[in-house]
This record gives sequence, C-alpha cells and structure tokens, in this order.
Amino acid sequence: MVAIIDYGMGNVASVQKALNFLKIESVITNDREQIEKADQLILPGVGSFLQGMKNLQSKGLDVLLTNEVVNKKKRFLGICLGMQLLAEKGTEPHENVGLGWIKGKVERIENIPLRVPHMGWNTVDVKINTFYKDVDHKDFYFIHSYHFVPDSKSVIAATTNYSIEIVASLQQENIFATQFHPEKSQEAGLTVLRNFFINA
Amino acid sequence: MLKVRIIPILTFNGFGLVKTKNFSTPRMVGNPVQAARVYNSRGVDELVFLDIFASDQKRKINLKMVGDVIKECYMPVGIGGGIETIEDINDLLKIGADKVVIKTKALTDVGFIKQAVAFFGSQCITIAVDVIKKNNAYMIHNKLGLELSLEEFVLKMESCDVGEYVLTSVDNDGMMQGFDIALVDLFMKTTNKPVVAVGGGGDMSHYSELFTKTKVEAVGSASIFHFTQYTPLDIKKELQKHSIPVRI
Repeated sequence: MVAIIDYGMGNVASVQKALNFLKIESVITNDREQIEKADQLILPGVGSFLQGMKNLQSKGLDVLLTNEVVNKKKRFLGICLGMQLLAEKGTEPHENVGLGWIKGKVERIENIPLRVPHMGWNTVDVKINTFYKDVDHKDFYFIHSYHFVPDSKSVIAATTNYSIEIVASLQQENIFATQFHPEKSQEAGLTVLRNFFINA
Repeated sequence: MLKVRIIPILTFNGFGLVKTKNFSTPRMVGNPVQAARVYNSRGVDELVFLDIFASDQKRKINLKMVGDVIKECYMPVGIGGGIETIEDINDLLKIGADKVVIKTKALTDVGFIKQAVAFFGSQCITIAVDVIKKNNAYMIHNKLGLELSLEEFVLKMESCDVGEYVLTSVDNDGMMQGFDIALVDLFMKTTNKPVVAVGGGGDMSHYSELFTKTKVEAVGSASIFHFTQYTPLDIKKELQKHSIPVRI
C-alpha cells in the first residue's frame, strides 16, 4: 500500500489517479496509523516552501515522516514541493528550515535570460538510471520558480537545462524525488512511476 | 530545452462547451468531458478549462463537472471561472487542477491575488488578461465598467508575482484571422513571466508567425480545433519546420 500524504498542499488527486491507472493501491491520508502501515510513501505538493513546512509541522507529519523514511528506511517519493521540502533550508518566501533529509538548499531561480517560473515540458538528462529506464532525454512537465541545490552532486538523479542546469530529480538511499510532475507527464511520467513502484 | 506549449482552451457556459466570437455569440461545440478525453489521447501539452460565465452569473464553478474533466487528463490542467476565495482555489487543486486562472477578482482585489500567491506559490496562479482595443489603446475588457489600461493592470499583477498570463485578444477571438502580433510582442516586453497567447489562430501560418515574430512560448486555441481538421500535433509539425522546439 502506498500512502499519499495529504497535508493541504494541493494536487493529491492527480497523483492517486496516476497510481490507479498503473493499478497501484494507494490511500490519501494524514493519519499516523495509515502512514506507519504503508510500505511506500509519496509526498506531493504545490505551493510555497514555508506554507508546506508549516502544514507538515501543524499535523506532526514532519516528525512522523522523518521517522518512517530516515530511521525506518521506508521507500519514499517526493514530487515538486515534496522534493524541495527534503532540503535543509528553503528561501520561499524567506529563509526557513526544511525536513533536512538531503543536504542542500532551495533557492529562487534568478539571473537567467529565460522566464521564471520554469513552466512547461523540458528534456531530462538522466544521471542515475535506477528509475529512468526507457525515458532518458524524454520531456517532463515542470512548473516551479525555486530549485534544489544539493551540497553533493552524487545525489542528483537527473537534470534539465534552462539556460542553467536545474536539478530535475534526486536519489539517496530509499529516497527518490522529482522536481517535475510525473503524474502530469503523460507516458514518460507514468513510466517513471511504474519503474519506481512496480519494476523496482 | 523548454518546448513551446500548444494548449487547447475549453470554454464552458455552465451547460456545455461554447465558442465565442469577440467574446460574444457563444456557439455550442460539445461536451467538455468528451473533449478532454480526446485531447488527452492526443497527448496535448496542457489544457485550459474556463467557465466564462461564472463571474457574470455570480455562481461557483461546477466542481463535479470540472473533476470529471480533470479525470480524463494526464497532463497539466488550468481551471478558471468565478474564483474569489482561497477556499475556491483549494477546492480546484484538491480535485487535480495544477493552476487556477483568475480574471474578475484580479480586477477588483489585488490583495487577494497577493494572498493567493503567498499561499499556493506563484506557479499556481495564472491571470487572464483579456485585451480590447479602444481608440487605438489596449484596454482590459471587463463587464464591471472599469476603464483600465493593459499597462496599469499588468503592473499591478507583476507586483503580486503571479505565475503566468493568459493573454487574449478580444478583437481576434474566434475570428481565425491570425494573432495580434503587436499585442503579444508588447506584452512579452512588459513581463518576464510565461505567457499563453490566445485569440485568432485559424491556419498553420498564424502559428508560425506568432512563434517566429514574438518571444511567446505558449499558445492557446479553441476555434481551430472545433471548426477545422487541424489538431495540436499539426501545429507542432508546422512549428518544427521553423525550428521552434516542440514536444512530439
């Protein structure tokens, strides 16, 4: 069973719809027992970093999830804001702390000649192939104004080019995360979800 | 490399899909759920669904119906119509919308737009900019009796750090005679946000003209898909001939 964490930061329905399509059983929840019982977790989310952390904290989900993922090593997928919140620090709208599971910081995309937010379909270059079988150099849907800058390049699973190199995906032990929306990226996105939840 | 986006726009009147000309004379063009299913099977880049009469008729968007539309979509969807509160936005995001498109409330309550951006992040908030030419000046089309220039309105929205604009030429809407290139060009110079240009696409050459003569990275269209044989894929193949990056 996959638990999709519901913390009031939008778009849980789309994630479940994609899992349903792949015939992966899931539940949308913020209930401690259900999260503890699930064998895999998804943290989706759109919105601001600060609001996301506030919502996690107000429900005690930051502590619970850290225990499940970092201590118990439960398989975890973070999507978009759900990837960014893994950082030690965020800057949206001002500096504040994140879950801190992956060393690094989330910064505003700025001083580039292109438009911000980075919005639309962009090519993904795979660095760690575990969950990207058959989709290297495919287009995925991005929609974000902030990007994850990890301390170590070794956790970067994929990048995309937007005049600067942007981290498109992270992987560290049992933690996998995407800046793009696999649930909104049609065939390519469904393939990544299939690779993570079924073929892995 | 980022690809340009070709976005079908579904306009809804509370009962079915309609297509307007110059924002009037709505003509019934079908069922929204069926249309969404077709566009999804064609792998379109994104979909925009607007209930264009919700604000006028002072009613909320039909969440059940919008939910049914979104269920068909494995691509991003923007939804607009009668959005007035944080709760309205939350309701739409919960059922799978990725962005909300706001017009009327943006004209009357800049504070609300700021609040929405702070809560949901700018990437979530798209502003509909409906432009009509009056005495050779670009003005914001509205039914509130406001005399608001395009420039003044955009400055207000820029101060809110909104995520995207859907820029529609009311004069070209439904006419299928080409885009208002001067308008799009001017608009792209006033903002560094992504823009979806809408209004006037009727032939393949209109799209290549739009993307070669302006810096716009997304186009929205309805009439060409309702009233001709052309599909979003045909537009992409045409753009490819002009070396414009598309996702095929």
